[in-house]
Amino acid sequence: MQAAAKDEHGGGNKIDITVIVNGTPTHVEANLNAPLKTVIPKALEQTGNTGQPVENWELRDARGVELPLENKIRDLNFEPGVQLFLNLKAGVGG
Amino acid sequence: VVQVVEPAVSKAKFEAEVEEFRALEAEYRAKGWILLEAKFPEVLLMAVATKVTPPPVIFGALFDFTNYDADPPSLNLVNPFTREPYLAGELPTGLNRGVAAEVPPGMPTPPIQMKMNQPLMQAAQPDEVPFLCLAGVREYHVHPGHSGDSWELHRASGAGKLIRLLEILHRYGVEPLQGYGVELVPKVGLQYGEAPE
Repeated sequence: MQAAAKDEHGGGNKIDITVIVNGTPTHVEANLNAPLKTVIPKALEQTGNTGQPVENWELRDARGVELPLENKIRDLNFEPGVQLFLNLKAGVGG
Repeated sequence: VVQVVEPAVSKAKFEAEVEEFRALEAEYRAKGWILLEAKFPEVLLMAVATKVTPPPVIFGALFDFTNYDADPPSLNLVNPFTREPYLAGELPTGLNRGVAAEVPPGMPTPPIQMKMNQPLMQAAQPDEVPFLCLAGVREYHVHPGHSGDSWELHRASGAGKLIRLLEILHRYGVEPLQGYGVELVPKVGLQYGEAPE
């Protein structure tokens, strides 16, 4: 349930992020210099969600704000303990 | 709907769905989801718009996990106090999503992309109980218009999971709310004084 920047503790440019995939939490180790979108395939793989392509998912913070996937993780200034929510998009309605 | 799947299987999967919600219940409550009842096969939650003051109750969401997950869950928007499903004409929200408006053939393409509202809640008549037109919901998959989009195509992706469906309901039904709308309609008429004798 925590995001901890490991570069402050001798772990290099790594960060542990808790991603809640359709309600299932999983911990993802990500590179702080990588775009945020890199956590999505890891989170999906770790939770066994392999049935839908990455672009069918959306990543939001606890307030429900959709996160910019192309931004570097470092630039998003995640607070320790942050949780991100990864959910399937609505898809085509009607 | 008759339970034809081994009840212990559906019940275990139902309890897992509810447990996933309870594990993050504080976070979901902060977003406005209040769990009212959870007794197999049904879960009833209430959606509140927390960013509006005072926070209004928007709708109830009644899930039925009978035969889950051989079948997707049923989902109805209901009055959270009576559990009565809203008719289409009574819906507090149509769960509108903004989609790009199609330009009729022969018309010039406008300089700005026009958007239109597409309601995710669908019904043929205002006095029908509407259904959520979304893969992962039982009413969607049993609709004859969606016979080409089988539940089996979505089952493994988590499309019918409780949390996923709550996120969709919140995104389109609660999150866009900005406040109370007040409509004042002045009425102008002739006003006479005391009638002459």
